Amino acid sequence: MKKFLAISGPNLNLLGTRKTSIYKESSLDEIHAKLRKKAAELGVGIDCEQYNSEGDIIDRMQQVPDNYAGVVLNAGALAHYSYSLRSAIGTMLVPCVEVFMSNVHAREEFRHKSVIADVCVGTISGFGANSYVLALEALANLAGV
Amino acid sequence: MGSRRIAIINGPNLNMLGKREIGIYGGKTLEQICDEIRHEGERQGITLEFFQSNVEGFIVDYIHSCAGKIQGFVINAGAFTHYSVALRDALGAVRLPAIEVHISNIYKREPFRHLSYIAPVCAGQVCGFGSYSYILGLRALLELLDETERE
Repeated sequence: MKKFLAISGPNLNLLGTRKTSIYKESSLDEIHAKLRKKAAELGVGIDCEQYNSEGDIIDRMQQVPDNYAGVVLNAGALAHYSYSLRSAIGTMLVPCVEVFMSNVHAREEFRHKSVIADVCVGTISGFGANSYVLALEALANLAGV
Repeated sequence: MGSRRIAIINGPNLNMLGKREIGIYGGKTLEQICDEIRHEGERQGITLEFFQSNVEGFIVDYIHSCAGKIQGFVINAGAFTHYSVALRDALGAVRLPAIEVHISNIYKREPFRHLSYIAPVCAGQVCGFGSYSYILGLRALLELLDETERE
């Protein structure tokens, strides 16, 4: 069975408790439940994790090739400046899909630029919790599931 | 649900899909991609309308004509994405949810393609998954319409 990894970056553990007008109502646990439901429908495995530390995400990325067929990554604010995360994605040679819950292009200008977008297969932004679910569908499709 | 009507809009040069720059855009023709979208539409029980034009003004006219007739757009505006203020204003004016899609990962390409003029007036963006970007875009739109209905 193909297995995928979903990683959420800094502050996403607070989902459902902050700025709900942008991030809608879902908590991270609810998002993970939706991902597990979709994974079961697709007949694939999924592990869902969240880290506030950049280095922890890099450590996980380095373990990906041995364990997973692809990564759903909501890097949060790290997307806009973390060159070390970019390098970690670029070197792993496993497809990574960049997701954002909000439409980053409708927000502050510093969020319009992603330093990881061009090392990812593609980007899905603006659909709340569904951005994660669509990214998993994209990875499954790429993997021929 | 059965009455849901969605427009799939394709901009300039997308009629040439499968015939040019296959390395970037893949070997499928627009007709083959539309068939895939049609298949997904049937699965979802919705009605689809397809529109492609190389002329900016025709796309603007088409978007205006959709007001009151369709519930949302999946739009691949092609190169217009990156400079058409008129297209952005048309999408803003009709106030229907639009999903921006791209076949290629625009962020892997030339810097002028990194900026989208239409992104701020769209609900969200899907790019980089080949013809599957349209399928994901359509699913995103339908989920969004479901959510709006529930509210």
